[in-house]
Amino acid sequence: MESSKQVNFQLFSAKDFKADKYVKNLSQNYIGGFELQNFRKKILAISEETNNNLKKNVYQNYVQFIDTAKEISHLESEMYQLSHLLSEQKALLSTLSSTSILEHSTYHSIENENKNPDVNQKEENKQKLATILEKVEGCKEILEVPGRHLIFEGDLLEIDPVENTALKTVHIYLFNDGVMVTNRNSNSRGLMKYIFETMYDLTSLAVVNVRDLGNVKQAFKLLIFPDTRVFQCSSNSNKKEWLDKFDQTKKSRLTQEQQKRESVAEKSPSRTVSVESPNSSHDIEEVGLAHPEWFTESPEELDVWVAQRYFEEAVTLLQKVKDYINQSHSVLGQPDHILTDIQRKVEQRQNHLTEVLMKELEVNPDKSLQGGLRAARRAVRLLNQLGRSAQACDLFLKLCSSMLKTQCRRVKREGSITVYIRHISSVVFTNLSHMSEEFLRAFSDLPSCSSAYVIWASTELSLFISHFIKQVFMPQTPLSVITKCVVLVRTQCERLYTYGVDLCYQLDGGLRSPLTKALRDTRDKLIDSIKLRALEDKWIPMNLHSKQQISRCLQEYSALGLPLDSYVTGDTWIQISASTLAFTKTFFTLLHDCFKLQTSDLIHTIDDTLYTVFEAQIKYIENALRNEPNEEQKCFLLKNAEFLLVKVLERVQEVYKEYIGYESKSLKKLQVEYSALTKGIVPSSRSTKTKYSSEFL
Amino acid sequence: MSKKPTAQPVIHKVIMVGSGGVGKSALTLQFMYDEFVEDYEPTKADSYRKKILLDGEDVQIDILDTAGQEDYAAIRDNYFRSGEGFLCIFSITEDESFQATQEFREQILRVKNDENIPFLLVGNKCDLEDKRKVTFQEASERAKQWGVPYVETSAKTREHVDKVFYDLMREIRARKMDENKTSNGRGKDKSKKKRRLCKIL
Repeated sequence: MESSKQVNFQLFSAKDFKADKYVKNLSQNYIGGFELQNFRKKILAISEETNNNLKKNVYQNYVQFIDTAKEISHLESEMYQLSHLLSEQKALLSTLSSTSILEHSTYHSIENENKNPDVNQKEENKQKLATILEKVEGCKEILEVPGRHLIFEGDLLEIDPVENTALKTVHIYLFNDGVMVTNRNSNSRGLMKYIFETMYDLTSLAVVNVRDLGNVKQAFKLLIFPDTRVFQCSSNSNKKEWLDKFDQTKKSRLTQEQQKRESVAEKSPSRTVSVESPNSSHDIEEVGLAHPEWFTESPEELDVWVAQRYFEEAVTLLQKVKDYINQSHSVLGQPDHILTDIQRKVEQRQNHLTEVLMKELEVNPDKSLQGGLRAARRAVRLLNQLGRSAQACDLFLKLCSSMLKTQCRRVKREGSITVYIRHISSVVFTNLSHMSEEFLRAFSDLPSCSSAYVIWASTELSLFISHFIKQVFMPQTPLSVITKCVVLVRTQCERLYTYGVDLCYQLDGGLRSPLTKALRDTRDKLIDSIKLRALEDKWIPMNLHSKQQISRCLQEYSALGLPLDSYVTGDTWIQISASTLAFTKTFFTLLHDCFKLQTSDLIHTIDDTLYTVFEAQIKYIENALRNEPNEEQKCFLLKNAEFLLVKVLERVQEVYKEYIGYESKSLKKLQVEYSALTKGIVPSSRSTKTKYSSEFL
Repeated sequence: MSKKPTAQPVIHKVIMVGSGGVGKSALTLQFMYDEFVEDYEPTKADSYRKKILLDGEDVQIDILDTAGQEDYAAIRDNYFRSGEGFLCIFSITEDESFQATQEFREQILRVKNDENIPFLLVGNKCDLEDKRKVTFQEASERAKQWGVPYVETSAKTREHVDKVFYDLMREIRARKMDENKTSNGRGKDKSKKKRRLCKIL
């Protein structure tokens, strides 16, 4: 039977199997009614057996099917748990990464410490949530919020808020962020005990303790507009527990939210708006008016600009933000917290920017001054735009000082003092002019800075003057050199006129006392040389030995304005002593130097010098006259005296008038005092002029 | 839904608002149980219900005694939404609490979107006349400006306690009767008008 059955199976399942043909074949083998009947019985028995077999098979499969189905449902819940676990891990990782990048290391470590004990708690939470998932139908999405955990749960009786009658039993889950209400699931005898009804957000859920509701005791209310739901607890302590849990959860959520808001606000205020506004409605009300993105991101943007040294852009943005804030102030009346927050931040950035710019201008020994003032232009301009012109001006001038100093140091003292002075004064005043130009360019519309500039320039000038005095006014320096130097500096100083800065007065003032001293020294020196010459003088007419010599000498003196033709005798003689002529020459040099140096302050000194020197010479002739026994010699001496007192003095007065504008009184006095000499009277006694003779002889 | 054959009397929902410590709970307890509670314990949010006789009519008063301090604006809004009339309470001995009433008034108007919501300005602690900081005139002027009555009460001596609750309930009742009378269409119109007004504001 078994083998035939096997064959049959194959036969039946063949593609070209035909039932009619098969039956015909079978019935052909059995002949007669009895045999056929037997065969029929046999077939029936087989069919019965097959039927049973099939039934058994199906039953077996069915058990397996149910087992598999159960397995699958288990697997499903496990998968949910897994996905939940993964999402939590992901959230954990993302917070870790964000903290490690953005936060300080100290904050980070604190965070980590806080997190470690949390891990166990989290595991626990997950398990709790998983069990809820198994118990409550239709709450899958609800449990997929990361960070949500169960605080409290329990069965409560819902009461009709108006009629005070019992409605139904509910099971309520209190999570850290909301309340889930579930109803009893009457259809299922399995694991799903409850059906999800609703979820309330904790931040909008008003919990009211029902103190007195007639016959209803131990109840509390949940107010969620437009619903009012009353729940009755099993006991007073149970109700107290519920209310306490609600209160605690709300409080912890509030502190958590505040922390989050603070930390987020610190990281980026822009995110505060975008993240928080959708989930808490009262935030939106506080924000009032949404700020454009560029505004909320401006502090970061400023950081970037400054870091990349795009200062112009930073300043422009700063201005834009300020304008926006002002505008918003006038529109809103009172500022909202984002506005003030950003305002505060932007102010910080502005201070930072100012610092950076100021550093840019700061004088630093390591920094090259290659770019010169041109390099400072940018920073100065930006600082001016930021309203920090006072600082900018201060730093700019400091920079100028240091530049001036280095420039001066580069000028080496080589060759004569005049060359050096020419060089250094040119450097100083050229720089000063450039700096004035730059300054006027940078601070043209800031009159308050101009005074700072004037003070600075005068300080620099006095520094230069002291340096100049040290270099030029040395005892061995001849007056003519000093004069040259002073004239050089003066002309340089006049260059500053173009910028409206007249420092000549200060220069003159600074040079007055050294010049006076120099004049006195020169005077004394000249008197000394007069004395020396007096000792050697033989009082004879000068013999120039050749015609060429004499014509040259005549030319020389006529250039001074003193024609000597009348004094020439013979071919090579001049009827004036050599010492007189030498004195005349020196005196004219002195005279010209004095006039070059002259300022109204120095006139008196100059007069005095000229007078004293001239008088010393006259005195000396007078003295010689007095001691001269020879009449012929006396005549010659008188001629010399007359030459000096008339010809020379007249010429001196001419020159004096030319320079000063009037004739010198002291020299006139000299002429008057010694008029006797010009008249050919030889002084016999010393009575009248004692003091001079005692002074100089 | 109700299985009882006799329907519950109509409920008037009253909300107590005001800064912390002005005596909201004290007024409520005095009204409910004729007792004065001396020691102060901050309220979170308590609700009371009582059957009373208002001008010969059985009614229920539902009092929601709110917390002076509530951190979530959304929750505060939910309290206010559930109310039909408001007792805005301040202490006459504390100017700050009087100033705070302005804010409460604004919040209520915003939430209820109705300028004529039954509302009473209540100056509590009028037994402490010697410590008075807010003058009667000052408070009356504010009430006048809002178009609401001003009453001074003392939860301690029970002065005017019943009056404020009953006056408010009368206003609520009048409001409800008005609303029943006016057709739905007109009611809608009214609310629309108010909404528009609000927007302009």
